[in-house]
Amino acid sequence: MSTDLPPTLNPAERLLNLVIALVNTNAAMTKQQVRTAVAGYSDAPSDEAFERMFERDKDMLRALGVPVVTVGTGGHTDELGYRIDQDAYALPSIDLTPAELGVLSLAAQFWQDKTLQTDITRAMVKLRAAGAGDPSADALAGLAPSVRAVGDAYGPLMEAIEARRVVTFAYRAAYNGTVLTRHAEPWRIAARDGGWYLMCFDRDRQAPRVFRMSRIESRVRVTGPANAYEIPDFETDVMLGKAHGEVKEAVVAVRPERAGALRARAKAVPDGERAAYTERLAGPGGGAGGPVGDPAGWDILQVPYRSLTGMASEAAGYGAALVVLEPEPVRAETLRRLTAAAALGTAAGTAVPGTGTEASRG
Amino acid sequence: MAERADDRLLRLLGIVAYLDGAGPVSVADLARRFGTTPAQIQKDVDALWVSGTPGYWPDDLIDFDAASIDRGVVHLTEARGMTRPLRLGTREAVALVAALRAMKATDAVKADPARSAVVESALRKLTDATGEAASAVDVRLAPGGDRQVVSAISSALAARHRLRIRYVTSSDVVSERDVDPVRLHTQDEFAYLAAWCYRAEAPRTFRVDRILEATETDIPVRSHPGEPSEIDFGALFAGGSSPLATIRFAPRARWFAEETPVESVRNLPDGDFEVTLRVTNPGWLRSSLIRLAPYVRSVSPRALADDVAGAAAQALAVYGAGAGSWDADRVTAADAATSPNPH
Repeated sequence: MSTDLPPTLNPAERLLNLVIALVNTNAAMTKQQVRTAVAGYSDAPSDEAFERMFERDKDMLRALGVPVVTVGTGGHTDELGYRIDQDAYALPSIDLTPAELGVLSLAAQFWQDKTLQTDITRAMVKLRAAGAGDPSADALAGLAPSVRAVGDAYGPLMEAIEARRVVTFAYRAAYNGTVLTRHAEPWRIAARDGGWYLMCFDRDRQAPRVFRMSRIESRVRVTGPANAYEIPDFETDVMLGKAHGEVKEAVVAVRPERAGALRARAKAVPDGERAAYTERLAGPGGGAGGPVGDPAGWDILQVPYRSLTGMASEAAGYGAALVVLEPEPVRAETLRRLTAAAALGTAAGTAVPGTGTEASRG
Repeated sequence: MAERADDRLLRLLGIVAYLDGAGPVSVADLARRFGTTPAQIQKDVDALWVSGTPGYWPDDLIDFDAASIDRGVVHLTEARGMTRPLRLGTREAVALVAALRAMKATDAVKADPARSAVVESALRKLTDATGEAASAVDVRLAPGGDRQVVSAISSALAARHRLRIRYVTSSDVVSERDVDPVRLHTQDEFAYLAAWCYRAEAPRTFRVDRILEATETDIPVRSHPGEPSEIDFGALFAGGSSPLATIRFAPRARWFAEETPVESVRNLPDGDFEVTLRVTNPGWLRSSLIRLAPYVRSVSPRALADDVAGAAAQALAVYGAGAGSWDADRVTAADAATSPNPH
């Protein structure tokens, strides 16, 4: 050991000395004291270089969870002093079992984004510094949940949510495909059904709105002052419109052995009602011997669903292996999709269902 | 690659705080604990040794017992007040809490009381320590499938037992298979079972919501060549040399391009967009295009468009709603159970 310091310190060592100095200072240190007394800062070649270095270091410390607080130094000057309040940064004792720590380390695999993985890695370093033991992965052996990458918008959006600042970005609208600049007060970001959503107050429309993050086509810029708005209490699923929609029931006819995934949540209609449905299946346009064939060749199932379009889309996807019997709106929406699909094979611009399919031999 | 200053600072502070509570610790143990090399720990100790409060006289510095260091043991004798571990930053807490909440809600965890208890207690201790609930990020992974199926898979995984499953492919073909389960992976809206499939004599990935039934046997799993330890989603979705298809969609169908592995997406001036993808699973693509048909502007190659239209015309005929030709011999379902595209 010696008091001979190397002529230049690398940034990590300079930051370390800054933290030690600001934790141990009696009241606070002024910028000038930091510059002359803390190892590493006297290297700054100019006032501007020192200012930049000190500001950057404070930002980095804040990002690590070590806030540098500003206090008046008292007396006759209005010069500001800086210190680090240990009570504000210390991790309360957290006694994790190996299994719990194992669960936490799985969280690193949960995220696909580098920035979020870094956040988890840092959290683990802090927890290990607090004495947590070796993680055990046994509790969740064989499980590896993960969510798709959020993307670059995550960083600025988190910063904006934390500071309550407005963000600006270019967004491609789904209803007409146009790209417009949006101004929003971010509230929360949420992942549902494979998509990431920004839930916010839209300043342009003066209303709460949900943006799909994959349709943000520019960098998200954090603009405007801090504490520009309040975040209300709300339920993610209500705002996404997913909490609504009671469970309804459709009745469908399915060819034996087909529509397996749908069968997994369906049940057969009661025997007493079957005859009425098979009759309807034969229908006005069909009739035994028609395309439907023998009504006995169909299973009649009750299928729960929430979304009309979702049910119709699923039904249409099974093509001729499934017929929607009721309710009428699902049947109509299914037919709309099938009709549009039948038109795809005809010559462009002359799409008429059922006329051009003669030539279709894929 | 040079380590970032903030990551190194975090470890430097972590080492001091940890040693203050733990007493003398070997360099090797420290390296393991902080996920770095013994050589790096030596460098860290050297840096700490010359750091301290302004003045930097011997009494100002962080100090270690020099004799212990020579024996490969780090023994902190002066911490200069740096004894408190850092609290988790907001971002760190958000990332951990959101992941744990999502895990807690997965079927595989809910199906197992012991697992639920561990996730629950980790989450509770974490939120106690980090204070305000991190509600800035809210992730919910989709339900994996039938409760009994998930519970049979979880139990077989834990006991390392073979499973018998009834599986329906994305081309709507049902089959019975014996599989040795390897891993249950929930990715976004679907859960997947990675397993060795005795029917295919190869590793296969099954979408859990397409497993119609699962029964745990008492036969222990065997080790197999080429067993998947990780599910490689890149490989799973890669189309290889399958033929290309190009589809032009109205803006409303944008989610298709967002949720399907595609080769490229081209935005057109009028708001439409054009997707190019590999046809790895014709049955799935046909079905998807019928589902999305109101938003499909054009399909190429022509043969694919005709195939979709033909299947839809057959369906319309069954409804008695269209006069399309009826080709009963058309066989559409191929066994694509475990085809690269699990949709």
